[in-house]
Amino acid sequence: MSIAIGQQGPIAAPPPPEPDPLPVNYLNNGYSIWSWLFTVDHKRIGILYLVSISIFFVAGGIAAGVVRLNLLQPDGAIVTEDAYNRAFTAHGVMMLFFFLIPAVPAVFGNFFIPMMIGAKDLAFPKLNLASWYVFMLGAILAIWSVLAGGIDTGWTLYPPYSTRASQSHVIPGVVGVFISGFSSIMTGLNIMVTIHKMRAPGMTWGRLPLFVWALYATSLIQLLATPVVAITLLLIVVERMMGVGIFDPTIGGDPILFQHMFWFYSHPAVYIMILPGMGVISEVLTCFSRKNIFGYHAVAWSSVGIAVVGFLLWAHHMFVAGISFYAALLFSLLSMLVAVPSAIKVFNWTATLYRGSISFHAPMLFSLGFVVLFIIGGLTGLFLATLGTDIHLHDTYFVVAHFHFVMVGGMVMGYFAGLHYWWPKMTGRMYSDWWSRVAAIIIIVGFFFTFIPQFYIGYHGMPRRYPNYPHEFQIFNVMSTAGASILGIGYLMPAVYLTLSLFYGPKAPANPWSATGLEWQCPSPPSVHNFDKTPVVVCGPYEYAIGVDQMGRGLPEPPGVDDNPARRSGITGPAGPMNKETEVVG
Amino acid sequence: MNLTPFIPEIASTQAYQFELLFWYIAITTGLVGGAVYAALAYFCIKYRRGNTTGSTPRILGSHRLELAWTVMPLFVFMSYFAGGVIVYNNAAHPPEDAMEIFVIGKQWMWKAQYPTGQRIIIGGNPRNMTEAERESIGKLILPVGRPVKITITSEDVIHDFGIPAFRSKMDAVPGRYTQVWYHPTRTGEYHIFCDQYCGTWHSLMVGKVKVVEQKEFDDWLMGHTPLQGSRNAVDGSLAHEGRQLFLKLNCISCHSSTPNGKAPVLEGLYGSRVPLRGGGAEIADEEYIIKSIRRPRLAVVDGWESIMPAYDETQVTKEQMDALVAYIRSLKKGQTPDRTEYFPAPNGAPTYPRTQSPEKK
Repeated sequence: MSIAIGQQGPIAAPPPPEPDPLPVNYLNNGYSIWSWLFTVDHKRIGILYLVSISIFFVAGGIAAGVVRLNLLQPDGAIVTEDAYNRAFTAHGVMMLFFFLIPAVPAVFGNFFIPMMIGAKDLAFPKLNLASWYVFMLGAILAIWSVLAGGIDTGWTLYPPYSTRASQSHVIPGVVGVFISGFSSIMTGLNIMVTIHKMRAPGMTWGRLPLFVWALYATSLIQLLATPVVAITLLLIVVERMMGVGIFDPTIGGDPILFQHMFWFYSHPAVYIMILPGMGVISEVLTCFSRKNIFGYHAVAWSSVGIAVVGFLLWAHHMFVAGISFYAALLFSLLSMLVAVPSAIKVFNWTATLYRGSISFHAPMLFSLGFVVLFIIGGLTGLFLATLGTDIHLHDTYFVVAHFHFVMVGGMVMGYFAGLHYWWPKMTGRMYSDWWSRVAAIIIIVGFFFTFIPQFYIGYHGMPRRYPNYPHEFQIFNVMSTAGASILGIGYLMPAVYLTLSLFYGPKAPANPWSATGLEWQCPSPPSVHNFDKTPVVVCGPYEYAIGVDQMGRGLPEPPGVDDNPARRSGITGPAGPMNKETEVVG
Repeated sequence: MNLTPFIPEIASTQAYQFELLFWYIAITTGLVGGAVYAALAYFCIKYRRGNTTGSTPRILGSHRLELAWTVMPLFVFMSYFAGGVIVYNNAAHPPEDAMEIFVIGKQWMWKAQYPTGQRIIIGGNPRNMTEAERESIGKLILPVGRPVKITITSEDVIHDFGIPAFRSKMDAVPGRYTQVWYHPTRTGEYHIFCDQYCGTWHSLMVGKVKVVEQKEFDDWLMGHTPLQGSRNAVDGSLAHEGRQLFLKLNCISCHSSTPNGKAPVLEGLYGSRVPLRGGGAEIADEEYIIKSIRRPRLAVVDGWESIMPAYDETQVTKEQMDALVAYIRSLKKGQTPDRTEYFPAPNGAPTYPRTQSPEKK
């Protein structure tokens, strides 16, 4: 019993009198650049990913800023059409391939999957490091193609435009995405094998935290779908470089073939992006409402259901591309089916809050933001899955708004929820409670202002990827840009207060949120091998009502309404099941 | 800055069906979404930490509730699917009696062609056009209350022919033909957008569709009321037919407006006084024009070689002659068409190397 809840003792001293010899953790056991670049520690690799994707998030955000500013005027406010086309392509490529896809799996998956299942590392630590190098190689190629003049094909790269007509740097960009795909496969494989083979004693499949289930489903998609986009991108390069007719009809190819192959990956890829976010939300909502998840099995299996059904509906991106009538019917029907598990998740999350004891720290605010925005994103998806409405809404701003509600309102919210939830564990520091709550609210408000007007102009027919548009849409574009400015400020705030917390933040206790997961049993920041002794799991992941963690030990007192979690030592709870009235329903 | 009405213009039968389905989905999803929001808000206020003892019940779930909110959404979603299929089925199958129009997309304009021969260039980027093309930018003219089938293809990359007021959209795919059909219900002018990203001036590949009364449409077909801003005879009249012949018989290869043409330019010829070789002059009336085509050596214009071949009735019939005369009558200054190789052949036509491409002039 010498591990886990901080330095076990009668009472750990509050922050000021620090224990002199700093315990060795993964951060302070080596400061040289090589100790980072050659590390095989899953936590350090997670941090490497965190730093790199933050850079790409900023880069993609700048491109988004150019796009939004340019739309202030109906004929383009700041840049030429060509520059605009390059900006939205850079935004899409950066955000999708180099931020959203690696965001949660490669940062929090790498960092926390081993800790949550009670393992010392991922199954293949060197493969894990290799995946970061491969990712960076791909990213550098993609960035080079942007700096060298950019790509103007849109992130969807539809031929024959991308293979014949585009005068931009398609090949380095495509090769960059192709290479970074291997990193995604490696991460997926690693996480999957780790979950199968390295669970601690007692950590049965039914006791896995839902974040682990979500990443398992994500890894399945990464593993099976990414090779398809890899070969598709390679075919683009072959056609563009050597003129082999694959997609271009004038030399014997078929442009629709590309769309099938591309969406066979890229549709499941949106589930690569959203599922990990859903996993984060399941962790945070339970912790901050002090409740068991409502319907553990339904939430867990709906992740797998989304992953499997997600493979079967790619052609709903092609309802007006001239595919056969009956194919359209089938893909519309299957698209309806994938909405069901998403609906189950939302209902179960909502029911989880029932009779909880809810506190509104930043992770919870981001998670509630996720649920609120994801509901709109999911429901507007139904308009696009329905054939009769898609023939008008396809390729309009309605699609843009829907997609951003799911990806930004959903996934980026989930990412920020996870970042704020696990930041004390990753860095050992608490950030400003007040500023983080303000940032969460600003981001949610800014988000609404940015994307609600886009539903309206999309419904009125404004096509996407238009730097020039009819005058009647201007006021809504101005509103959207104004909202995007608020959103941009909201995103800058965490960059400031999280960075400041590294230097000035109070030391974080081992379990600041009084959460049940095994990752909170390690000190903050975790020691090099996470656990001194392999933990033994005795119960499911969310026993907040009883008040025990997964090892059956009592939880510290949860943060109150307005206290600051940093002020508590984190180990004030009774050692043993709390004496609470317990009621089992259902 | 004018605010558009909340529901966009409904100008076709399909738009009406779309709105019914759209608002059915919007209201049902709005109700469900609103209910979930209400529950979230209620729980967040009622069960906030300050309002509770901190003790929570251990609720693991309820199979009955979960079954309910699995099956019920499924039924609702299936009703969306069914409604969507009805609208889509209607949109995908044009009626038998629909008038047919062909639309070809190319970077960055649409070319519409009516079965009676009228051709219109819709939209297109003015910055990318020659003066002649800019003058002839037109609108797609459709009759109200009558089904029209549009067959769409593309010459280069994928485009998408979308008309929001008709709630319709279809990709123009090179190497394939796709179809949409409309039944316009209101006269007026509506946007045409290219909805599939197609390169630099994608956002300028826009134009207008003009829905007119049947009578106005017929008049336009007959060439009585050229609604288009065109200076060229592209309005389906006799002169238009003559223009086609003028190009087809290769008259244009000598009677061109290029500086070193082999024959006189015919612009403004009709009614003018023509000096003849060997003295004398003639007024260029119909008789003179017909004579010059049938037996060109009888009266050669002063300063030109007598090199024009004669066209007898097996080569140019009487009807065709009328058309040619009508065309030459209509030719005004600066209207001689460019050589035919200026216009790229339709996709799939036999090609030959082009010496210079018009875009790069």
